[in-house]
Amino acid sequence: MKRRTFMSCLGCGAAATIATQTGLFPPVINSLQNAFALGEPSELSSMEARHYKKLPGGGIECGICPRHCQVTDLERGYCGSRENQGDVYRTLVYGKPCSLNVDPIEKKPFFHFYPGTQALSLATAGCNVNCKFCQNWEISQSRPEQTENIDLSPQAVVDLAVQRKTPNIAYTYSEPTIFYEYMYDIAEAGHKHDLRSVMVTGGYIEQEPLRLLIPHLDAIKVDLKSIREDYYKTIVNGELKPVLDRLVQMKSSGIWLEIVTLVVPTLNDTDAEFRDLARWVKVNLGADVPLHFSQFYPQYLLKNLPPTPQPTLEKAYAIARSEGMQYVYLGNLPGNPAESTYCPQCNAMLIERKGYRITQRNLVGNRCPKCQLEIPGRF
Amino acid sequence: MSKVVVVKYIGDQRNRPLTQSEYEMLLKAALHTLSGQGDLAAAVRRFLPGGTVGMKANCIAHRLNSTPLALADALMAILVSAGFKEKDIVVWERSNRELVSAGFTLNVSGAGRRCVGTDASVIGYSEDFYGSGEVNSLVSRILTEIVDVNVNMPVLKDHSVAGLSAGMKNMYGAINNPNKYHGNNCDPYCAHVNNLEPIKSKNRLTVIDAVRVQYNGGPGYAEDYLAYYNGLVISDDPVAADRIGLEILEHLRAINGQPTLERAGRPVRYLASAEKLGLGIADIKKIELRVIMIDRDGRESTGELLE
Repeated sequence: MKRRTFMSCLGCGAAATIATQTGLFPPVINSLQNAFALGEPSELSSMEARHYKKLPGGGIECGICPRHCQVTDLERGYCGSRENQGDVYRTLVYGKPCSLNVDPIEKKPFFHFYPGTQALSLATAGCNVNCKFCQNWEISQSRPEQTENIDLSPQAVVDLAVQRKTPNIAYTYSEPTIFYEYMYDIAEAGHKHDLRSVMVTGGYIEQEPLRLLIPHLDAIKVDLKSIREDYYKTIVNGELKPVLDRLVQMKSSGIWLEIVTLVVPTLNDTDAEFRDLARWVKVNLGADVPLHFSQFYPQYLLKNLPPTPQPTLEKAYAIARSEGMQYVYLGNLPGNPAESTYCPQCNAMLIERKGYRITQRNLVGNRCPKCQLEIPGRF
Repeated sequence: MSKVVVVKYIGDQRNRPLTQSEYEMLLKAALHTLSGQGDLAAAVRRFLPGGTVGMKANCIAHRLNSTPLALADALMAILVSAGFKEKDIVVWERSNRELVSAGFTLNVSGAGRRCVGTDASVIGYSEDFYGSGEVNSLVSRILTEIVDVNVNMPVLKDHSVAGLSAGMKNMYGAINNPNKYHGNNCDPYCAHVNNLEPIKSKNRLTVIDAVRVQYNGGPGYAEDYLAYYNGLVISDDPVAADRIGLEILEHLRAINGQPTLERAGRPVRYLASAEKLGLGIADIKKIELRVIMIDRDGRESTGELLE
């Protein structure tokens, strides 16, 4: 099956389709469908990157993520979005989003962060890992000259969010760590207009850049792709340990945090792994951190695997709950009861969801209407 | 046994870039020797039987140290003399910008030789992924859909990660995600990139420009580390061609006071990996090497690789 046929069958260009269907605003880029319908390349950004050091004898070492790419002249880091130009490391994607849409915040997913609000969501090309299951590989695994980009300064993003009355700006779809400077400056400018910023990330970022970024963010969702190091090595092309360290750093900073694990059949779907993951989250981050298990759809380099069976996801749910996790959710299963939020004390329905839509909201402020338990999150 | 021909120009005392006619002399001599054919057209057809011919240039160092226009023109003239039509010859790279920066004139649909980057609106990458080992990439449609055979035309140079940048490394410019495959000194990734089906099946000839060699500080341009070798390395075995290129590179490094690539921390292991994949011969003892010296009048004599 050809790539385009495959994509149209699955309708997997989800990040783009909302914009297409609703005709939101010009210019909106339908990147997931157009990533390889190449036009003449626009100028790439030449803004100097942050968090790198020059090496004695030439070259630079990037410090934005644990990969610490050492990059010589005219070469790029693993992400493909940063280039050494005469031993000045430059981000090629600053102000050059390739995907821009308005999404429900539930799509990120955030279930305890201003439910029912919208997020102006953007991404640039590039990623610092290469997950074989990537749902957005057409932008994440591209170099910026291979995507259709527009010029949109941080202030222009903020202006757009204000104009569209979206209270949140989401850095998502690809890996925002690789467009760190752009994200940082948008988030900083957004706070001046009371716009919240949320980062949707794999968490593969260095400690210091994250420390400096967190004050400008309002929430982070981390894809904890597995609790096994070998999975990170073979399926993600990254490392688990730095991700776990950053999760602890995020939690201890006080920023709102939610976690998602994509459950991939045969690769990370054993009872033991579900249990280990839930235990790690509970012990290191707390039982009240929302934990989402999402259904995998065959994509990118794992087209040979089937979608995650619903019973497998329900097993993950049951195990995590039995381990004491209080807010466990199942994703990509529209209509499943595990999309909704329940009071962990009295089991009252607090927020009922159907897909990304909220169909019932019973929270009173941030409390359960029945037993008055305070529900963690930002409501 | 694989055969590699090195042709060196000894027409001048002074080192300088070669002209198109000088390149033509070198190419003709090399093609005759490599093919064993006395007739030039037959020699060409031995490797490039027909159809549309690609010429994959290497233009990362812009005009300063990229595939010379004179070399591309020389090969085109030879192909035309062998019966190919100009419009069936495509000089290509990953981007239009790089081609222009190296001095090429873009030409997608006009008369004459075509010249286009993969990023042009009419080109792009393959719809399907091609895989080998851990490498999974989209491949330039120039290679998958437009050309029938390809001549790989790199520049011999040092590479800050791979150690050697010659023919095999040049094919990183044919895939959509080269930045993902630079770990471990590009080993075994460089071998696997060259094992991707369109690259493996369509690359028929490697012509490495080793006239002026960036023996250190590559793949960009580093003025302090340039040396003239005044030669071309040509073979239908991509691994063997690179292996001989490596000998030249290490020689130029040694006589210019640079450590071996191994000691410099960038050992070239991907050639051995390529041999294991059956892409060609990396063991120099199994390579039949012919070195030809050519003077300004085109007279040929036998020479040594590292004299």
